Amino acid sequence: MIASVKRILVIASHTFTQLVRMKVFGFLAVFALILIGINFFELPTGNSPASAAEEELRMLKSSAMGAMSLFAIIFAIAATGLLLPRDVEDRTLYTILCKPVPRLDYLAGKYLGVLWTVLLALLLMDILLVIALQLRTAEILGERMAIAEHLKWTPEEVGAEKDAVLSQGATWSVQAGIFAIFLKSMVIAGVALLISTFSTSTLFTIIMGFLVYFIGHFAGEARDFWLSQQLETSVLAKYGSHLISVVFPDFRLYNVIDGAIAGNVISGSIMWQLVGISGIYAAVYLILSWFAFAKKEF
Amino acid sequence: MALAVEINQLSKEFATPFRRKKILAVKGVSLSIAEGEIYGLIGPNGSGKSTTMKALLGLLAPSEGTCQIFGKDSVKVDSRNDVGYVPENPYFYKHLTGEETLRFYGKLCGLSGRKLKERISELLSLVSLEHARKQKVGTYSKGMLQRIGLAQALIHEPRLLILDEPTAGVDPVGSREIRDLILSLKEVGKTVFLCSHLLEQVQEICDRVGIIFNGVLKREGTLDELITMKERLELVATGSPDAQRKLLELAEEMEGIELVSSGAPKTSLESLFIQMSQEEK
Ligand SMILES: Nc1ncnc2c1ncn2[C@@H]1O[C@H](COP(=O)(O)OP(=O)(O)O)[C@@H](O)[C@H]1O
Ligand SMILES: [Mg+2]
Repeated sequence: MIASVKRILVIASHTFTQLVRMKVFGFLAVFALILIGINFFELPTGNSPASAAEEELRMLKSSAMGAMSLFAIIFAIAATGLLLPRDVEDRTLYTILCKPVPRLDYLAGKYLGVLWTVLLALLLMDILLVIALQLRTAEILGERMAIAEHLKWTPEEVGAEKDAVLSQGATWSVQAGIFAIFLKSMVIAGVALLISTFSTSTLFTIIMGFLVYFIGHFAGEARDFWLSQQLETSVLAKYGSHLISVVFPDFRLYNVIDGAIAGNVISGSIMWQLVGISGIYAAVYLILSWFAFAKKEF
Repeated sequence: MALAVEINQLSKEFATPFRRKKILAVKGVSLSIAEGEIYGLIGPNGSGKSTTMKALLGLLAPSEGTCQIFGKDSVKVDSRNDVGYVPENPYFYKHLTGEETLRFYGKLCGLSGRKLKERISELLSLVSLEHARKQKVGTYSKGMLQRIGLAQALIHEPRLLILDEPTAGVDPVGSREIRDLILSLKEVGKTVFLCSHLLEQVQEICDRVGIIFNGVLKREGTLDELITMKERLELVATGSPDAQRKLLELAEEMEGIELVSSGAPKTSLESLFIQMSQEEK
């Protein structure tokens, strides 16, 4: 058991090294540029000055977290889809599997390595975002307070304004939103892992991965619509729809990310629920991958 | 004592995706290798050598029959504790250096710390790759890849080594080095199971040989049994042309002896090449 954990960690840390040496962290420079760009070019908004200030923070969050989400999803699918077939093609897999390494350990190690890389990348981007948000919030708060003084606002009005601005800044809910991005990429990486155990080409894996992702976004709505159309839900339809929800995870669960961008408060109970569901999805995909991989011949 | 390798009636069928006919790559092969032996499997390309080895390593599941390594079934993970494998044209992670490659495989086998460090240095010197310790494996030549492959296979001190075409694509000097390495491994008591289509090399180092054609093991035995022509005698003599002629006449006159051929022996191109390259150094 301990030996197994150790082996998984060896493979995971090797996968991490491999990805780092493929220079995947280069995108961080791009991300920093995006943040600086948003900060410099004030985006024109048609609203009143008060809401414009908050709008600005929202814009900053939505573009940064949008970029983070995009990166995490693309990376999770591409890296997972790339690593396994590459080991098969290069025949490095032979030399690993002929050591006393159970196949589940190999898969879990690869999966963990990709997740670890995504987590670290998100963390780095998170730090950049928090710095940018703090600076911008302080600046806007200064402006608003100057106006408040000029207009002789009551202390209650000043406090409310302060809260309104701060609620759009670097809150814990933003952190929760970013963690939700990680959970989402964990699930989609699991899907890519499963596809890559039976697909023979990297391209196929990556395309299928994105397909599942997009279907997952729309399947939920489609399913609800379909079920509402049935006058009486047959047992078959019900189980059928459950089956679909396993194959195509309902990515609407991760709408809390949009909530975080809008400045909503994300409760702890919702996060725990999300962690639980994502964990179950990840475990199911890993086990299904193992079934497919255990019988595979090289 | 358990045999190092025991393959019993192994058959392997491959289903081809777009054709209805199945390929029978290996048909009822049985062979066993005692501990300390060097066993060579020879046969043309596509005769099922690699398939036999992969089944023995559990990379392929046998369609029929069983494979055992030191008495443990190949389908089980623990049979791989005592075996090292170098695949055909081995290839390792390009982004790792030679040293990192060995560390990775060592850790996979549960080695760590000081012991692993010492083992890595020991192996790098065994396969003469100390100079390339910090060099990326992606820049290694074919001969170097074979040698790092051998080091990787030996990292957890297995008793059995399985080598698939260990000298394919390596120049004669490099392949001689690999040959010497294999012989030195035999000296420390390792069992070696190798395959090749280069007959001369197998002949040079193997104790026992199996000949496989189209997935069927046609003949098996010690090298002597297989290639000695007991009814023939070959002698090589030096002397003046005159003396040589006399010897021939003597042979022709002798009762019960029929002279099949005679002439000046030729050195092999391989030994000539090796001799020249040594003079070059
Ligand atoms: N994965 C596979 N799928 C289908 N056919 C295979 C596969 N691997 C090997 N074969 C076939 O099995 C036969 C034996 O191959 P192999 O064992 O690699 O031969 P050798 O190593 O002796 O050159 C060949 O005809 C080859 O085409
Ligand atoms: Mg072969």
